Amino acid sequence: MKLFKRPKDQIAAPLEQGVSAEIARLVTDADFVVAPYNPDEGERGGYSNYSYWGSTFRSFFKDKVALVFLITLVALLLFTIIQPLLPQQFEANVIIDHPLTKRQMSNVAPAWTNVIVEAPAGTALVVHPFDNDLWAAVDNIVASVKARKEFTVLEYGDEWCRIAYDGAEGYVRNDFTTKIKFPEDPLATPYAAKSNFALNVYTTPADMSNKGDALFVLKRQLAIDGDTAVTTERAQLRLLPDTRPFLFGTNSAGQDLWAKVWSGTRTSLFIGVTVAALQSLIGILIGVLWGYVKALDRLLTEIYNVIDNIPTTIVLILVSYIMRPSVQTLILAMTVTGWVGMARFVRNQVVIIRDRDYNLASRCLGNSTARIITRNLLPYLVSVIMLRLALAVPGAIGSEVFITYIGLGLPLSVPSLGNLINEGRKMISTSQSYQLVFPTIILSVITIAFYIIGNAFADAADPKNHL
Amino acid sequence: MTKYILKRLGTSLLTLLIILTVVFILVRQMPIEGYFDNFDKLDQAVINARLQQLGLRDPILVQLKDFFVRLLHGDLGQSARYSVGVPITAIIANKAPLSIRMGVISMALSLLLGIPLGAAMARSKSGFWDKFGTVFIVFVSAVPSAVYYIYIQSFGSSLLGFPMLFSRDDWRTWILPVFSMSLGNTAYYAMWLRRYMVDEMNKDYVRLARAKGVKNSEITMRHVFRNSFVPMIQYIPTSLLYTVSGSIYIESLYSVPGMGGLLVDVITRQDNPMVQALVMIYSCIGIVGMILGDLLMVVIDPRISLKRKESAR
Repeated sequence: MKLFKRPKDQIAAPLEQGVSAEIARLVTDADFVVAPYNPDEGERGGYSNYSYWGSTFRSFFKDKVALVFLITLVALLLFTIIQPLLPQQFEANVIIDHPLTKRQMSNVAPAWTNVIVEAPAGTALVVHPFDNDLWAAVDNIVASVKARKEFTVLEYGDEWCRIAYDGAEGYVRNDFTTKIKFPEDPLATPYAAKSNFALNVYTTPADMSNKGDALFVLKRQLAIDGDTAVTTERAQLRLLPDTRPFLFGTNSAGQDLWAKVWSGTRTSLFIGVTVAALQSLIGILIGVLWGYVKALDRLLTEIYNVIDNIPTTIVLILVSYIMRPSVQTLILAMTVTGWVGMARFVRNQVVIIRDRDYNLASRCLGNSTARIITRNLLPYLVSVIMLRLALAVPGAIGSEVFITYIGLGLPLSVPSLGNLINEGRKMISTSQSYQLVFPTIILSVITIAFYIIGNAFADAADPKNHL
Repeated sequence: MTKYILKRLGTSLLTLLIILTVVFILVRQMPIEGYFDNFDKLDQAVINARLQQLGLRDPILVQLKDFFVRLLHGDLGQSARYSVGVPITAIIANKAPLSIRMGVISMALSLLLGIPLGAAMARSKSGFWDKFGTVFIVFVSAVPSAVYYIYIQSFGSSLLGFPMLFSRDDWRTWILPVFSMSLGNTAYYAMWLRRYMVDEMNKDYVRLARAKGVKNSEITMRHVFRNSFVPMIQYIPTSLLYTVSGSIYIESLYSVPGMGGLLVDVITRQDNPMVQALVMIYSCIGIVGMILGDLLMVVIDPRISLKRKESAR
């Protein structure tokens, strides 16, 4: 508090008041409202609404091929997760037996349904004893002719012949599978004939059996009389007392390939993603230390030179050879070698930007090393870290296939794309080649998708490509 | 120059020593079954006597010393299961020449295919060859080689009528394995050559040459190609590693009686001494490849100074 006013103040005070009144008149609160972005004005003031991630995603979404693969991959990933929760699924490791013969349902061809044949109303069928309330086990085989036994041909046809044998009457196939020996004029019926093969005699000129085994039909569609039955309506004869189809067929052990392929995809993706995550974690950690802490540079460089000189495959083989085959072993074996590339990359980048002025300033302001690394260095590396992450996944999946091939992979009870492909490989030149084709298609889609998305994202994340 | 080479060799020798020691110690962790031909039928006394004889009961450092002493005499031990009692060096000496010949042919083939492909891609930027090459490169690098090797073998034998299995004297059986082995490197060379050539084409001296009216083909061959080829040399050691790991798979797929197939065989039979020896040999190939690559760079491009390279590390 001043005791007296100086003359200078006496002049200044009203002047000051006048000025503030004038300012209050000219500058109102409305001048401090944030203006909307206007590109023309922005150019004049040197301002841009550039945002790194915004531009990255914008240029990524411009790449149509990558986008298609992204959508495919996301859909595939979601499906592998929800597949076991869907209705009508088999378990991956359950061996499916025929309920009557107890034989494995091996090498069933892929199909949309498990309906083998449709029987029109009024078809005569043979019922086999099968203890089930809903389903009956049936076929239309009334008798079977042993090889080289004589039977009477009642009616000749190009595909089916009606014959009589041992009191039963029915149809037999007339093709290369039966090779019936006919006389000169096959149409002059009746006559005796025989075949070198055993023949099944069917009630109708159609094979309503699973290679001689019974099929299954809903009981309510039949009029059952002892061990024979007649269909009361159009009935679907199924492979199993069940409506679940073998979409990808079954393998030679009689397991559902559809369930196995998705279960294997889950295993392989789990391995791939875990390996990628561990590789980046270790790689980034060591890479940052390597680049930032000068005292460690020499040591880590020497270690790097040692590891980098050994072919990765050999380390992979050695680690898997020494340890018991399991998912953990594979993950360990792939991580042991994989972090090296990431670490070197991070190290090189860190060395480049470590001593830039803004980092120096940051250090002068008293920021800790940890803060400088996480706030100033790592954001620069995001794009390339993402690229390496994306490429590590197909790499790990491929290594798994390789390790399985040389006999060090997962046991068959843990389905993976590697052991499915390795099993399917044995079928490649047979009619069961679908056992190789389905796993390879899924595998190729996944690996190509990761590869393309990774590269497209790295391009998009490079600020040089932002316009 | 001499100083650099000596230093480089010294580091490599040290690396080799470390790798051998690590592999040796790791293989010691394996179950002892892998040292016997018929482990289940032997009684404990025989097993113990054999372990004693092999020196596996000694402290690990003594074993290590013995191992290095024997190694210096050119003795890698004897096979325990694969072909019992035969010295490993003899087995490998029998198999290695075929693998080496196959590897060299496939590397030459991949240069022969990859370099024209890369050059064609760079010249027809976003034209047919560029698109074709990109699809090829993406496919080969993304899909695991283990998968497409199987299909090449199958289609090669069923559609093109090549024999499915290898036989040393029939040249037709060489085609599929050598071709499969070279695919990965072909894509690799094409990808890098294209990248370097595109970079080179955007340089000012090329523009000047074009402005002067030099023919396009002459610019590509005389300037762009020659300058882009030099950095390609550094990929040769890496591609050697590719060939090595590819050979393991392919030799076993086509039953080629070489070292790669041998490795798979001894792994399935759990022959510890053989696995140890082969792993060591493969690691050595890696190291030698790296040295050769570094030296090749200096020989081919005199502009590269080794001093600068050292300080950059």
